[in-house]
Amino acid sequence: MNTAAVLPEAKSKPRRHINWRQQGIAYLFLLPALIIFALVTWYPIVKTIIYSFQAVNLQGFQGWVGFSNYGRMFGNPIFLTVWWNTFDYVLISLLLGSMVPVILALMINEMRRLSSIFQMLVYLPALIPVTVALIVWRAIYAPEGGILNSILKLFAIAPQLWLQNPALAKPAIIVIMTWIGAGGTTLIYMSALREIPSEIFEAAELDGFSPLQRVWYIALPLISARIQMMVVLQIILVAQVFTEPFILTSGGPANSTRSPVLEIYDTAFNRSDFGLASAWSVSMLVILAAFSIIYVWSWSRRDANKG
Amino acid sequence: MSSYSRGIMSNTEWRSPAGRFIKYFCLAVLVLAGIFVIFPFVFSFTAGLQSSIDVVKPGIHLFPAKPLWNNYLDAWRRFSMIKMFKNTFVAAGGGVLLQILVSALAAYSLSRLNPIGKNVIRAAILITMAIPGICYLIPRYILMTNLPLIHVSLVNSFWGLWIPYACNSFMILVLTNTFEQIPKELFEAAQVDGAGEGYMFFKIAIPLSSSIILILGLLAFIGLWGDFLWPYLILRNSDLQTVSVRLYTLTRSFPINLYLAGSFIAMLPPTIASLFLARYVKGGLTF
Repeated sequence: MNTAAVLPEAKSKPRRHINWRQQGIAYLFLLPALIIFALVTWYPIVKTIIYSFQAVNLQGFQGWVGFSNYGRMFGNPIFLTVWWNTFDYVLISLLLGSMVPVILALMINEMRRLSSIFQMLVYLPALIPVTVALIVWRAIYAPEGGILNSILKLFAIAPQLWLQNPALAKPAIIVIMTWIGAGGTTLIYMSALREIPSEIFEAAELDGFSPLQRVWYIALPLISARIQMMVVLQIILVAQVFTEPFILTSGGPANSTRSPVLEIYDTAFNRSDFGLASAWSVSMLVILAAFSIIYVWSWSRRDANKG
Repeated sequence: MSSYSRGIMSNTEWRSPAGRFIKYFCLAVLVLAGIFVIFPFVFSFTAGLQSSIDVVKPGIHLFPAKPLWNNYLDAWRRFSMIKMFKNTFVAAGGGVLLQILVSALAAYSLSRLNPIGKNVIRAAILITMAIPGICYLIPRYILMTNLPLIHVSLVNSFWGLWIPYACNSFMILVLTNTFEQIPKELFEAAQVDGAGEGYMFFKIAIPLSSSIILILGLLAFIGLWGDFLWPYLILRNSDLQTVSVRLYTLTRSFPINLYLAGSFIAMLPPTIASLFLARYVKGGLTF
């Protein structure tokens, strides 16, 4: 009787005693991460927002300017151009690139002995430093004497100004980005395909499902969560495109490949207008954070599904 | 692995006429994709064997009649590629080691030591995953040119790369999950024997997670090896520049055949590494 009365009470009143020695050790382990995160992420994030309301150049702080950086950003026609470009980049990459890894994964998965060779092959470009790949691609796309135009000549196709024609420059860049990025995504889809128990396909086959029907009704729905996640990630990454236009086109022709990050880079490091560049960063942060939150959310949901 | 015994199609189906058709169709598509993947490698290799005039001559001339092997020696020497590779290795390797150490220590604390405010710290780390790094590049750069308190500029110093590289929220989260899955009894038994947290960290937590740490480290190393914008801002001195930064600046002042030869050389180490990596790729590079 007595013990029964005491026990719940003891439970409802947890000992509020803090073991300071234990806490000291816990924070000692955390300390390097806390210092580094504060230094290279938390502080700069806050500082970006502060800078966007200030005039800042190489000499440092020049005074508070209220919303004038934002006014200058929205007032400049380049703002619309750049975000329209971003929309184009994302759209073209979804059309040209998003389904490539799905198809590759399904096909490589059907290869019996050759599958590991093809896996390695498609992943290879992801291992090459991006600038090195771009230097080579720039030579391939060269308008005069470029190998791509020479090959097309065999098929009686007129030579094109791949990177100098506003209509072609963005798709040309997306092709390179697909060359670089499709392999990694393919591997992720392949591991998702291998998680599907083969009994399901066996049963479907016995029920008379054709291979294409099995792909459409079983394989694709079962990896769709992963596809959705990777497509959101693709949007986030493509919206941050920088190195490709920086090295291949410098944002040209006629700003048709200029991306937000390239504009931030030029504003900050070529015109040393850090305030305006920070306003740009904040606009980008707001737009991309929305997508990033979707991504992190679907990532944690996938984790929860896995148990 | 049992999943290799059949794909979406069974082995019997595979050998039927319709199955054969699908098989050869897939194979043809994959071979085409493979050629597309390999083409820039082949192109830079053969362009590196030609004179700079021949490279830009119209027409297809992938295989020069008189290969100029000397170009490769030239590129190797004049670009001092050994130094380039060494710098990249130091930058990426140091970054990965720091990243693993910092992340593992933090993950150990978050998963086992119950620091006050654990959830706030976790959320603060998680939120950095949702904000693209590019958005706060400018203050970070200004900070690195003039560190608070000590007023040191990290421009032209590998520390300017290592410190930001050490920060990897993804690794902290994955390692926290990994450490949480280690059976508590192991730690309790060690504690009975009088082991401290440092001992348990190095002798229990790290060794039991070594395979996942290896994969995380490899992925991070690949990413850092090709990093461009940050090293481009920090390493202004050409003696310190990494492969991606140095080759880019070289294209401005050297003939096309030489820098394509250099590019091909720069593609070799990752290609060779991928042969070793194949072992891990087979099991899937994801978690």
